[in-house]
Amino acid sequence: MTVSSLAEGRPAFARARRRRRIPVAWIPYLFLAPALIWYAAFLVYPMLQSLYISFFDWDGLSPTMTFVGLKNYVTIFVEDEIARLALWNNILWTLGALVLPTAIGLMLALALNRRVPGSTLFRTIFYSPAVLPLVAVGLIWAWVYNPNFGVVNTTLKSIGLRSWAAGWLSSYELALPATFVTFVWSHVGFPMIFYLAGLQAISKEYYEAATIDGANAFQRFRHVTLPGLTETHVIVLSLAVINGFKVFDLVYTMTYGGPGRSTQVLGTWMYFQTFQYYHAGYGSALAWVIAAIVLVIAIPYIRRMSR
Amino acid sequence: MFADVRNQRRLEQTLLFISLLVLSLIWLTPFATVVMSAIRSQGDLLSRGVFSWPKAIAWKNFSDAWNTGDFSIYFRNSLLLIFLKVPLGIFIAALAAYPLAKMRFRFSGAIFIFFLAGLAVPVQVTLQPLLVMMKQLGIANSIFALIPPYVAFGLPFQIFVLRGFFRLIPSELLEAARLDGASEWTAFLRVMVPLSVPALATLCIIDVLNTWNEFLIALVLISAKESRTVPVGLLQFQGEYSSQYTLLMAGILISIIPVIVIFIFLQRYFVAGLTSGAVKG
Repeated sequence: MTVSSLAEGRPAFARARRRRRIPVAWIPYLFLAPALIWYAAFLVYPMLQSLYISFFDWDGLSPTMTFVGLKNYVTIFVEDEIARLALWNNILWTLGALVLPTAIGLMLALALNRRVPGSTLFRTIFYSPAVLPLVAVGLIWAWVYNPNFGVVNTTLKSIGLRSWAAGWLSSYELALPATFVTFVWSHVGFPMIFYLAGLQAISKEYYEAATIDGANAFQRFRHVTLPGLTETHVIVLSLAVINGFKVFDLVYTMTYGGPGRSTQVLGTWMYFQTFQYYHAGYGSALAWVIAAIVLVIAIPYIRRMSR
Repeated sequence: MFADVRNQRRLEQTLLFISLLVLSLIWLTPFATVVMSAIRSQGDLLSRGVFSWPKAIAWKNFSDAWNTGDFSIYFRNSLLLIFLKVPLGIFIAALAAYPLAKMRFRFSGAIFIFFLAGLAVPVQVTLQPLLVMMKQLGIANSIFALIPPYVAFGLPFQIFVLRGFFRLIPSELLEAARLDGASEWTAFLRVMVPLSVPALATLCIIDVLNTWNEFLIALVLISAKESRTVPVGLLQFQGEYSSQYTLLMAGILISIIPVIVIFIFLQRYFVAGLTSGAVKG
């Protein structure tokens, strides 16, 4: 029984309720105010400020800002070859992030969803890199890739593949893939956990029904498991894209954007431009390119979450 | 025929177990090489390699790294930051999640989406203005500069999870409190908050780890050594001692051990928090 239907039967009570209802209209906003003000002041406002700065030529320090319109954006796409390389690296990184951690995570989730001895321990092992600071992850893998003492080269030498040993992080061709391997190691946990949760939400009855209908293991996977994971796919894949374009910590700690400029991504290039070379206007334009891409890609994800 | 099926299932399980075992050993190798390097002397490491048993355990590496790397400063800063930031952020998020979950009012949907959009905002797009703001406020270079952006970037996820959790709490409990004359504030504090302790605790754990791990904002807003957090301090330590491998590995372990300990003991809550609301039950 709801309050209003109760009130209808008792006029005096209804009047009392109505009098007390008047302030209720603004009470929700009172509860929301701290979060809204904080969020607007320290996330939305700086974001818009950055958009404003991106139309100026500014070093980030001096009081003079020169309005240049869209010039910074034109520079990114027309003149600055490193920015274009960074964007390309981001795209490659994101495509990789869509496929590798996701596929490995799904396979691990399928394996761990079955009755396997030690499955809790396995889950902990595969997930644990994801909770570490990425700076530490980067340094751990810099040690793994160390040309003289690292485990990769040591192993290659000991199994007779001495010629395969390389300076993984100092090679123009290998540095980005090597850094990406680290990303896979540290990010497999997310899709695995999401897929495990998704698998556990699929009703056992569907599998039983499919089995009775004579579906084999592959058919059950194709017609029960995959459709059951649709929602999870949306989350996992959008997060992969969002994180793929935000990448910073790993590249910064492992290669510092080098050798040369070969591993620059938009995140690091924005950092270098803004805080090392004092091109705050140009750096803000780079930041907005990242933000625009991520926000557009995230729309389906946000719509899904807001339901 | 049943025996056949059972045998096949057992074979499958064994193969699955072995593949998982091999893969998890590969997954653990980077950790293992860090540990094996951190607990020996530099000379022992260089002459005998990472994959040999150390001649003697050099516990001194850890105290040396702790002292020469100024980790006590970084730990103090990160802990202070966590104690200030985490309760504040989650309290503000809970306040906002309450009306979004339990009240009907204009723009509630729009406000919720406005917060959710923050999930997709890359930190990079706020850095330069934040730096200017913190300079104007006179707190650039102190850990207090980190609290405003950390709280702001935590809000979207926390509001999302708490709104989902609050909605599961029966509204009858709130109605009862209101009929007893409780104000919305009392209803929130005495009904919603106590019933949401599991969700609040889970969010605290996630937030503690995120705050401990955050790097980019801290890198930009803080340059003074006395105010560095653990990740920024660790990177600085690496810059200064990059060729003293054993010391560096000890430093890495020092900075990740708290995270590993928290995760291993509290992972159930951590995982539940990450996936809550993300996957329909």
